[in-house]
Amino acid sequence: MYRLLVIGFSAGGIPLVTQILESMPADYPLPIAIVGHWPSGHESHLAELLGASCQLPVSAAKDKEAIVAGRVYLAPADYHLLIDRTMPSAANFALSVDAPVKSVRPSIDVLFESAAQVFESSLIAVLLCGANSDGADGMVAVKQLGGLTIVLDPQECEFSTMPRSAIAGTTVDYVSSMDEIVSLLRSVHEKP
Amino acid sequence: MPLVKWKNHNIQDVEVELLLGALKQRYGYDFTGYARASLKRRLEELARYYQVKHMSELISVLLYDEAVAQTLINSISVPTSEFFRDAQVWKHVRDVILPQLQSFPWINIWQVGCGLGEETYTLAILLNECDLAKKSRIFTSDINPAFLEDARRGTWSSQRLEPWRENYRNSGGRADFDRYFVAKGGTIAIQARLKQSIEFLQHNLVVDQVFKEVQFVVCRNVLIYFGAELQEQVLNLFARSLERGGYLLLGRSERIFDTREKHPDLAEQDAESALYRKVIPGGRHV
Repeated sequence: MYRLLVIGFSAGGIPLVTQILESMPADYPLPIAIVGHWPSGHESHLAELLGASCQLPVSAAKDKEAIVAGRVYLAPADYHLLIDRTMPSAANFALSVDAPVKSVRPSIDVLFESAAQVFESSLIAVLLCGANSDGADGMVAVKQLGGLTIVLDPQECEFSTMPRSAIAGTTVDYVSSMDEIVSLLRSVHEKP
Repeated sequence: MPLVKWKNHNIQDVEVELLLGALKQRYGYDFTGYARASLKRRLEELARYYQVKHMSELISVLLYDEAVAQTLINSISVPTSEFFRDAQVWKHVRDVILPQLQSFPWINIWQVGCGLGEETYTLAILLNECDLAKKSRIFTSDINPAFLEDARRGTWSSQRLEPWRENYRNSGGRADFDRYFVAKGGTIAIQARLKQSIEFLQHNLVVDQVFKEVQFVVCRNVLIYFGAELQEQVLNLFARSLERGGYLLLGRSERIFDTREKHPDLAEQDAESALYRKVIPGGRHV
């Protein structure tokens, strides 16, 4: 059974992540953690924007915040977002201001790698689009630890360096169109 | 018969615990209360730097080689900041907190985690501009004496000046920001007069106690590196250090959960800035 969905994107990704969140039912059974690259201090604005167009509550993740199913958490700008195991079977969010990775903070790699280490095969990772290779190493970790890896078809996006790097770095489970990604993520809900 | 391994005990997690145990027992640096995810990333980076395959191979090296141990300790407690980082927060300090603090006869400010001095001198500049420098003292503390030395020196690459200028303006600064520095070659040094109100002291949040009554605690992006239990302990230390009516400023994305239950002495004052205030009995605190 899946316990966490993580999504990463950079340039051109906001409309795509909006489309995904819009299609999620109000009783979606997974928590959703999102790393995108946007200017410092704008995450509360973006949380409002995304929250207004979907049925799930959206907020910027706070340090040590509990990970609750059916909620959407955004990495605050200028912080890395990580998942911290607090007990053998419990986890919460953690933040760091460690150096940028691949010149970005928050880094998709940092979230995906720490989430993979804690959630292993109970993790779904989705990588959308962007003009850098952030997320590719994260996808390797998710795949290695048994999670489900989904990458947006590079032909479908304007900035395709991100999905291309991920596909080159590991054998991802799905290379999909937006519509396919949405139905894949919704099918988690339909499973008994 | 094959060995049965503990469930939910990832091998790298075991290595991290052993390494922290070695640091603690050999050198007295106790990082066992630190949050693990980012700590583990840093240790993995060090393992790559020393070109060892497993983190645990660093244990014998650090036990016998003090230089390696020092590098490890430095990189675990590595600071990172900038002048007027999160300009809106410093605007709030300038416009609201400092005018409030003015009512105290004397202002002691404890700035926790000195970094390279960026936030310490940010405070010194603000005190100057709000005309409070004469009645205030900044105590900046760090676990690591090497960082205190760097902060005291107060020098940076001049390339960093540009974003800091913008931060400063966005925080409501009206003066010529460059005048706070003396440029020399490729470096800038903070003006000596800004150091007059600052004391640099070694203080370990894990084991050391209250050292002074203070009216303002500034501890930004330090608690994120601590586990929940150590966070609680340190917040209690801040609450004990603060005079009633004094303020506690955390990092923009840091929060005290359950103030009512666990920290009845601290009340949230401004969520956007992560600002808390020590409650005055019988007073109104919103």
